Amino acid sequence: MTKRRLAAFTLVIALSISSGALLSSRAQTQADRAKQIGGKFMCMCSCNQVLTQCNHVGCPTSASMLKELDQWVTRGDSETVITSAFVQEFGTKVYAEPPKSGLSLVAWSLPSIYLLLGTLLVIFVIWRWRSRGMPPSVGPGRAPGISSQDLERARRRVAQETED
Amino acid sequence: MDFFGSFALLLAFLCAAYAFVGGIAAILTRHPLLVKSARQAGIATCGLIFLATASLVYLFFSDSYWVSYVVAHSNRDLSTFYKVAALWSGQEGSLLFWSFLLAVYVFSVLLVYRNKNGELMPYVGVVLAGVQIFFLTLNNFVASPFKVLAAPGANGALDIFTRADGNGLNPLLQYPEMVIHPPNLYSGYTGFTIPFAFALGALLARYPGEKWIHLTRKWTMIAWCFQTMGILLGAHWAYAVLGWGGYWGWDPVENASLLPWLTGTAFLHSVMMQEKRGMMKVWNVWLVFTTFMLCILGTLLTRSGVVSSVHAFAQSSIGNYFVGFLLLVFAVCLAAYVKNRDYLKSENQLDSMISRESSFLFNNLILLVSCIAVLSGTLFPVFSEWFSGSRISVGAPFFNKVNIPIGLLLLFLTGVGPLLAWRKTSTDSLKRNFGGPLIAGLLAGIVVFALGVREFFSLVCLMLCVFVTTTIGMEFFRGARVIRSRSGASLLASAVELTMRNTRRYGGYIVHMGMVLIFVGLAGAAFNRDVQKDMQPGSTLQIGGYKLLLQGFDTKPEKNYTSERMIVEVWRDNKPLMMLYPERRFFQTNEQSGTMVAIYSTLREDLYVVYAGQNPETQAPVIHAYLNPLVKWIWLGGLVVVLGTLVTLLPNRRAVLVLAVAPERTAAQQPQTLAPSVALREGHD
Repeated sequence: MTKRRLAAFTLVIALSISSGALLSSRAQTQADRAKQIGGKFMCMCSCNQVLTQCNHVGCPTSASMLKELDQWVTRGDSETVITSAFVQEFGTKVYAEPPKSGLSLVAWSLPSIYLLLGTLLVIFVIWRWRSRGMPPSVGPGRAPGISSQDLERARRRVAQETED
Repeated sequence: MDFFGSFALLLAFLCAAYAFVGGIAAILTRHPLLVKSARQAGIATCGLIFLATASLVYLFFSDSYWVSYVVAHSNRDLSTFYKVAALWSGQEGSLLFWSFLLAVYVFSVLLVYRNKNGELMPYVGVVLAGVQIFFLTLNNFVASPFKVLAAPGANGALDIFTRADGNGLNPLLQYPEMVIHPPNLYSGYTGFTIPFAFALGALLARYPGEKWIHLTRKWTMIAWCFQTMGILLGAHWAYAVLGWGGYWGWDPVENASLLPWLTGTAFLHSVMMQEKRGMMKVWNVWLVFTTFMLCILGTLLTRSGVVSSVHAFAQSSIGNYFVGFLLLVFAVCLAAYVKNRDYLKSENQLDSMISRESSFLFNNLILLVSCIAVLSGTLFPVFSEWFSGSRISVGAPFFNKVNIPIGLLLLFLTGVGPLLAWRKTSTDSLKRNFGGPLIAGLLAGIVVFALGVREFFSLVCLMLCVFVTTTIGMEFFRGARVIRSRSGASLLASAVELTMRNTRRYGGYIVHMGMVLIFVGLAGAAFNRDVQKDMQPGSTLQIGGYKLLLQGFDTKPEKNYTSERMIVEVWRDNKPLMMLYPERRFFQTNEQSGTMVAIYSTLREDLYVVYAGQNPETQAPVIHAYLNPLVKWIWLGGLVVVLGTLVTLLPNRRAVLVLAVAPERTAAQQPQTLAPSVALREGHD
């Protein structure tokens, strides 16, 4: 075998291996993409599971939905196109998470609003309680006398707060 | 026996009605005989509910296929073990089971406090009887489990007829955990009735002081512990049976169990503010009310068909009764609060923003935000349908995105809270207490990052887990060191002694440690992997470091089902490791089937193998294998949480003073200043 033939043979082998690897990685990428997109839809058999996770025995819906999804992904359809197709077929119930637009935006923004309002409320409450708890300033050597009842109450309180 | 059960339920209803009306009369007249008779009626109610429940269990065991509920949920071949579980597998039986567990609590409360708290107990008895009346109304008149099968006979009258066999139990419920998960969860739900009754009773009675809080603390802890166990057992059941590779799907029914757990947890923390500082009285009362109402709301969601769920009972009009009851409870709570709110006047004062009190406020905020976020997400499909006409689903991806950051904030506070002092934390104290844990957390982050963890939330979660573990470890170490210096015992023995001297505080830390372990397990979910493959005998599947070799499959007829089983040999590092047998079961009686997942579990990861059925095109059996890291930590964490809760329920052991002759000190050894014999550290609980 001449050097040229050997080089050509090696090139053919390398090309076939790399094209095989390319095809396999493309198939892998497609499978990953189908899985990633499928994770954004619900199975429509009322099992309340995400499409790619639904495997309850005898599910009449998930297999056909996944098949459709695979076909669209193989065809190279974009996620938007696939989403529209599913929504057209099953309605908005098919979303696994609400879209970040329209009324659904409310669902997304509510937790942040709760957290923000709650934090503001807690800060306000702490500020108010702190201002209530500030003792009047007393100069050195001018400490007011303390009655025995006050002393007893203070002792009780200390006992209560340091028990356990 | 069905007649006996039915009659016992009816009598129980009448006794509860007497306990309620007689109790009110006793409160108004303060007549001792009335007080006693109302209490006795309460106890009799419980006894009759026990009898009714025993009757239904007997009907299952005796294969009484003329009782509609028995026919629907059992069959002759069903094992005795699952005949017990059949009791709560349907709407009617589960409601009776609810009444039964509530009766256990009520019976215990009425018995334990029969000669105590004379001012408060009549009010508590009335509230408990009121709740029992509601459930007994359902048991008697709406969803009776004792209905019999009847058909028009020859003379036109209805004749009872008996079926040869029953329809069998839902296959998904034929799993050992289903015998313990619902009782735990229901014990949690029903258990929250006790703190509710004490809170409402104390408010109505204007019962002085924080005594009701002390009285209910243990009951709340018990209910919370059951709720925690119920949730975790449910998660484990979902993991081991449903076969989708996960343990928490944010299903509405799962969410319903989480809601009262979140508010109950908030209450267990904020109640300390009331005990120690007399603060947050209104908040605490409303937290207890809310927790109880969320238990009812959860039941409403499960049973009404308002939201779709794979776990829910059949859709029925029973939801209307729960809505009515919920509104009534809210109205009573509101009226009691408006009338007696001056009784809840608190001495709300704070000395500093950086204090234990503030950390409790933020802890409550985070728990409540999480609760409201889960609730609004669960109900959003219903609201979206009302407002726009089309139902928008809210599934697991939404809840994960919303709740993961909230959960991490909570984990952070779990570490911060115990390090802060009541009233005020000085800067020195902050530096001293936080330095070590912060450094440990950061170091852990660097190590975990170097090990290849790039997922942001998992990285933060693991860092926080180390941070919290260090804070807890330091708390134990400091306390144990003091005891060791005085007693000479080992550090471990000193830590045990320390825990037993203040079970509530250190039991609480053990619970926190359990939560840390659970978070470690949750962090692993970001690295789950799965492979699905059509298999033939002899073919292999590679996932992570494991190679699965399908040796073959067999079919095994069992008493109640036929099992189709795959025989899978697991290899690791080119060595055979073990055999796994994922299977599918076909239940002949109800023509349903279910999966049984095969799991090889280690602390590092779970190899989770599902027989996913046959490929409809090739007829080849399909194996779906998952590699789920750190899942075992969740179940271990659950055990630690339960252990910690049990410790908190123990009474404190008193420190024993040992008098010994002190060695003489030389003048040089004498302290220059007077110092307390025990250093009181800031943050002492």
